[in-house]
Amino acid sequence: MQLYKDIEEEQPLTVSELNDYVKEILESNFRSVYVVGEISGFKRSYPSGHSYFVIKDEASQISCNLWSFRYNQIKCKPEDGKKVLIRGSIRLYKLRGTFSIDVATIEEFGLGDFQLKFEELKKKLSSEGLFDGKYKKELPEFPERIAIITSETGAVIEDFKKVAAKRYPSVKLFLYPVLVQGKDSVESVCSALKNANRSRDDYDIIVLARGGGAIEDLWTFNEESVARAIFKSKIPVVSAIGHEIDFTISDFVADLRAPTPSAAAEMILPDRAELLRNLELTGVTLRNYIEIRLKYLSETLNNVDKSYSFNKPKDIIREFSLRIDEIGDEIFGIIINRIKYVNENLENTRKHLVISFRSQSEKIRIYKGNFREFDLRLNHLMKERIKQIHSVINQRKKLLENLNPNTILKRGFTYITKNDKIVSKKANTEINDYIKIHFSDGEVGSKIHDYN
Amino acid sequence: MQKRKTNNETFEAAYRKLEKILAELENNIEEKSLDDIVKNYQEGLSLLKICREKLSDAELKIEKIKNET
Repeated sequence: MQLYKDIEEEQPLTVSELNDYVKEILESNFRSVYVVGEISGFKRSYPSGHSYFVIKDEASQISCNLWSFRYNQIKCKPEDGKKVLIRGSIRLYKLRGTFSIDVATIEEFGLGDFQLKFEELKKKLSSEGLFDGKYKKELPEFPERIAIITSETGAVIEDFKKVAAKRYPSVKLFLYPVLVQGKDSVESVCSALKNANRSRDDYDIIVLARGGGAIEDLWTFNEESVARAIFKSKIPVVSAIGHEIDFTISDFVADLRAPTPSAAAEMILPDRAELLRNLELTGVTLRNYIEIRLKYLSETLNNVDKSYSFNKPKDIIREFSLRIDEIGDEIFGIIINRIKYVNENLENTRKHLVISFRSQSEKIRIYKGNFREFDLRLNHLMKERIKQIHSVINQRKKLLENLNPNTILKRGFTYITKNDKIVSKKANTEINDYIKIHFSDGEVGSKIHDYN
Repeated sequence: MQKRKTNNETFEAAYRKLEKILAELENNIEEKSLDDIVKNYQEGLSLLKICREKLSDAELKIEKIKNET
């Protein structure tokens, strides 16, 4: 900001100053730019190996520098007329007041069709779930049998073998030679994947590998049928196609993506040296566990051995016999106490019985007295009652005697019967009736003759 | 006999067994009888031997499979 202000204030600058300002503005704002254009005027200077060219379009051009150390790293070598994508930073050359691009990478441009197809397929398969983490199979930690689907010739298989031999030579490799580019390669790779799955060799892992190449050369691994064959595989598939920067559809579908074929070997194979170190450690640990335990046990044993009781059996026996005596005394005491207790109980019971017997006879005596009294009272009551009853009977007797007709007859009264029926009214008689006159001392018959 | 057993055992199986024995000793050594501990130890040693042999003896083998389309 300060820079612009200075310029606005129309302070005169030296050429160097202006170049410095511009340099600072340019270089700080264009540290990493991408530019597309055609290469022209390519020139490589010797012995430095630095290259110079311009990148241009229909109307404009910019100078480019490519340092020799970068030249060697770049796959897509600059050539006149080549359409490229350049990444780099802007540098101002103060001596001339010109700027140029300090080239970092060059990529071929114009593969738009491939890129488009790639993105389309990626989107399609992704939406179908072919890249889903849930389908990713886990790789065994110690693979024993690995199928490698790659070119029979070339560096890939050699690199893989080299790493495998160093890291984990106990693994067995099964090479499925295939075409890795060209129109028959898709079919070749697909059938190898199918065959490996059908094989009786029972592979732990399938490695699908191909060395680096131009995007067209890797295209087999961007084909839909290859992707689907990988997805169908029941054996875990590791995809190791091209270089680190190359991503293929195969990489996305595979259970594991390795940046390069040798990296694949490193990723899936355990390191023997490390394993051996681990085993040594395991051995030490194992020994330690046992030693510590044995030490502990033997110390325990020593402690027992050194103990007083273990070393002096006689004392133990003496102690035991003392103890036995003690126990005997204890038992004897217990028995004596028991007997005493039983005796006391018996005595108590006896005393109790005597007391209760005494009280019982006392009670009997009291009852006896009571009985006598009751008897007398009862006799008296009975006599009184009988007397009472006698007098009542006498009274009744007198009453009855008064009512007896004979008594009345004795006093001079008579009664008359006719045909054995008492006649109490004159009206019941007629003249000449035979009647009986009853006296106290007998009866007489008579005839009624005087009737008036 | 011992030799055949060694050959039959996979590295992984032996390694897992070894891990199991180690874990067993680590966690339960106090409950184990001396007999069992010694048995574990001996088994551990023979498994260690198997594992080492598997790693040391090995020489990379590669087989070419005819790929029939």
